[in-house]
Amino acid sequence: MQKATLKAFAFAAALAVATPFAGLPAPAAAQTLTVGVGGNITSMDPHFHNLGPNNNIAQYFFDRLVHFDAQQKPIPGLAESWRSIDDNTWEFKLRRGVKFHDGSDFDAEDVVASFKRVPWVPNSPSSFVAFVLGLETTVVDSHTLRFRTPAPRPLMPIDFAVVNIVNRKNAESPTSDFNSGAAMNGTGPFRFGQFAPGDRVSMTRNDAYWGEKSHWASVTTRIITNASARTAALLAGDVQIIDQVQTADLPRLKQNTNLRLERVIGNRLIYLHLDHNRDETPFLFDKATGQPLKANPLKDLRVRQALSKAINRQALAERIFDGEAIPAGGLLPDGFYGASPKLKPEAQDLAGAQRLLREAGFPNGLKMTLHGPNDRYPEDDKVLQALGPMFTRAGIETSVVPMPWATYASQSSAPTFAFSVMLVGWGSDTGETSSPLRALLATRSPGFGASNRGRYSNPTMDALLNRALQTVDPAAREKLLFEASELAVGDVGIIPLYYQVNLWGLRANLTYQARTDEYTLAHLVKPR
Amino acid sequence: MADLDTPFRRFVADFREDKVAVGAAVLFVAIFAAAMACAYISPQNPYDLRQLDIMDGKMPPGKASMDGLVFWLGSDGQGRDMVSAILYGLRTSFLVAVTSGFIAAAVGTAVGLAAAYYGGWVDTLLMRTVDIKLSFPAILIALVLLAVFGQGTGKIVVALVVIQWAYYARTVRASALVERRKEYVEAAQCLALPQRRILFRHILPNCLPPLIVVGTIQIANSIALEATLSFLGVGLPITEPSLGLLIANGFEYILSGVYWISFFPGVALLVTIVSINLVGDRLRDVLNPRLQK
Repeated sequence: MQKATLKAFAFAAALAVATPFAGLPAPAAAQTLTVGVGGNITSMDPHFHNLGPNNNIAQYFFDRLVHFDAQQKPIPGLAESWRSIDDNTWEFKLRRGVKFHDGSDFDAEDVVASFKRVPWVPNSPSSFVAFVLGLETTVVDSHTLRFRTPAPRPLMPIDFAVVNIVNRKNAESPTSDFNSGAAMNGTGPFRFGQFAPGDRVSMTRNDAYWGEKSHWASVTTRIITNASARTAALLAGDVQIIDQVQTADLPRLKQNTNLRLERVIGNRLIYLHLDHNRDETPFLFDKATGQPLKANPLKDLRVRQALSKAINRQALAERIFDGEAIPAGGLLPDGFYGASPKLKPEAQDLAGAQRLLREAGFPNGLKMTLHGPNDRYPEDDKVLQALGPMFTRAGIETSVVPMPWATYASQSSAPTFAFSVMLVGWGSDTGETSSPLRALLATRSPGFGASNRGRYSNPTMDALLNRALQTVDPAAREKLLFEASELAVGDVGIIPLYYQVNLWGLRANLTYQARTDEYTLAHLVKPR
Repeated sequence: MADLDTPFRRFVADFREDKVAVGAAVLFVAIFAAAMACAYISPQNPYDLRQLDIMDGKMPPGKASMDGLVFWLGSDGQGRDMVSAILYGLRTSFLVAVTSGFIAAAVGTAVGLAAAYYGGWVDTLLMRTVDIKLSFPAILIALVLLAVFGQGTGKIVVALVVIQWAYYARTVRASALVERRKEYVEAAQCLALPQRRILFRHILPNCLPPLIVVGTIQIANSIALEATLSFLGVGLPITEPSLGLLIANGFEYILSGVYWISFFPGVALLVTIVSINLVGDRLRDVLNPRLQK
C-alpha cells in the first residue's frame, strides 16, 4: 500500500516536471540528460561528508589528482604522472593548461590549499582527513609537488583519488557557500547550476574541460530514493538513466525493448561475521536444552567450516538476485588488485557440514540465531530468510532475526557486539584487498579492524597485512595480499556469500560504462 | 409445532431464510475448520525451515518442487507452498482476531455496563474516554503501539484490543441504557438484589444480540487490520508470514508476472472477510426486533 502510494506520487511528480520541458526545441532536448539516482546527496561541499552520493556528484564539478577508471584502477587526473622517489616520498607532476570554471589557471597552490581545507571543514560528519594526514608537502615548481610521509605509503595515489581539488580562493569558504553555488568553482566537466536538497542538482557542460567533453549540454540529477519510483520514472521516460535497479524490477526492464541494463560486478562483498572472541557467545545454543553453550563453538574451525559448507551460494545468486549477483569465495571479485585467484566460492556440501559438526563434538547439531539488516543491502532480508533453511538442513537449527539497519548497526558493533552470527556487507572504496583485510579481519587496534564485528584476530595475518601496507612495489605487495586473504578466508575469519552486481537501467539508445565504484557519471553516458 | 417457539429455533429458522447468508456461514465454517486443522491437512509446514528450499522459490501454480510436492497455488520467494502458507496464515489471523475480539468485548462490555448503570460522572468520564479513543484512526493507534512494543503475535493482540474495546463499550452502553429503565430492572432493584447480579444476570443477557452483531463485524475488521499491519511490516515476524505479510512479500513481484504470491492470499482474505460480513449482516437483521416481521 505504501509503495503503491509512493509510486503514484512519483508519477504525479514526474508529470508535473515533464510538462515545462515539453515546449523545448528538439536539438536542445537531444543534448539534455536527466539522471535518476537512489542515494541522497547531503551537500555540494566536496570535503564535507565522505559519502558515496556526495563523492559521486562532486565528480561532476571537481577533479582529483588521480582519477579511477571504471574498474577503480588509478589513471591520471589533475596529475599527469606520479612516481615514488624513495620509500617515503612521492612526486606528482600536475597537468598544464587546466582552467577553473571562472577562467583562472590551476597549479600546485590549489592542491596545497585544498589539502589544507580538508581538515579545516567544520562539523564534518565523516571527514576526508585520513587521506591527507601526515603529509610533508614541498612545492617543487608551479606544476610539481612532493609528499613525504613518516612511514612508506604505497596507497597514496589511491588516497588522492578520493580528495577533490577546489580553487585556492575557496580554501576558507564555508560549506554553505558550496551549497549555494558561490564557491562551486572547480575544474570538472560540468559547471554548477543549482542544488535543491533532497530533489535535484542541475548543471551545464564545461566547454573548456581538459579531458573528454560531455555529450550533454545540460544535465539534471534527480534524487529518487524509492527504488520503485526510480524504475517508474525510467519507464515513463522522465529520466534516461537510473542507478541501483531493484531486483524485483529486473524481469520487467529486461522485457522492455526501449530499455537496456548495464552491469558490472561491484566491489561490495556480502558476508557473515562470526563471533571469534567470547568464550560464551549469546546466540549459539545446545540443541536439546536450548540453553547457551558453555564454550563458544565458533572458536572451532570445523564449526566455522560447517557453516560455510551449508550455504548454497549459487541458489542465492540465481533465485534471489535473478542471476545478478556473483557467488563469492574471497574478499573481492576476480580482477581486483590483491584478489587471490585461489579463493573460489565453496559449493554446498550438507553431508560434509554434518560430518564436520560431528567431529567438532556436536553429533546432534546446534541451535543458532542469525541476525542481519532488512533495509541496508539489496534483498538482505530475503537472503537471511534463505540462509535459515540452509543451516537448518545442515544440522544447525537457525532462527532468523532481520532488523532495521539503524538498530542493527549500533548493536552489532563496538562496544555491544550483541550478536554471534551476522550478515554484513563491505564495499572496498580503495578498490583493492587491503581495504577489507584491514577493516574486517585485522586485529582491532587504532586504524585496524574498525569494522571487525567478529573480533577475528590472527597475528600471522596481521603481520602479512602490515608488510603489504608498507611495500611500495606493486607485485610484491599483491603477493602479500594474496597470502593474507588466503590465510584469513581459509581460517573462516568471515564467510563470504556473494558480490553485488551494480546495475543501471537506461534508454536503449544510450550506453554507459558500468562502474565498480557505483558512481553514475553523466559525462560517461553516451548516445549509441 | 410448539417447539418452534424456543428462541434458538426461531433464530435458526429466521437465519435460514436468506440463502446467501447460509452459504456464507457454511463457507466461513469450512475456512475456519481448514485453518484450525492446518497442521494436519496442509501439504507442508511453512514455518519449519527444514522443509523450505530457496530453489523451490517463485514456482508457478501447478508445478512440483524438487521433492515432488506439487504447488497447487505456486510457491513464494522462499519456496513456501502457497496452499500451506495461506492455511497457516489464516490460522494466525483467526487466532489474533478471535482472542483480541473476546478480550475487547469483555473490556468494552464492562465499561459500557458501568457507564449505563451508574450514569452521572462515571458515564461522562467513560464515554468521553471512548470519544477520544474513537477520534484517532485505528491504523494510527496500531502503528504507534507496535512501533513502541515491537513485533509479535501477543503485541498485535494488545493493539487490536486497544483499538476495539470502544466499539463494544458504545454498543453495550446504548442497549443497557434502554434496558435499565425497564420494569424488570426496577423490580430487581426493589428486591434489593446485589448490583452485580442485576448487571450481569438481568441487564447483560438482554444486551447480547447487538453485542454478537458487533463482535462478528469486528472479527472481520481485525482480520483486515492485522493483514494491513503485517503488510506494512509492523505486524508478525517475517519468518512466520500471515496473510498480510504474504501479500506484502508478493507485492513487489506482481509487475514482473509472479502474481500468485499476492493474489491467492488476497483472495483468501477477501472470501473470509466477505463471508463473515454476510453472516454478520444477517445476524443483525435476525436479531433486530424492529426489522422482524
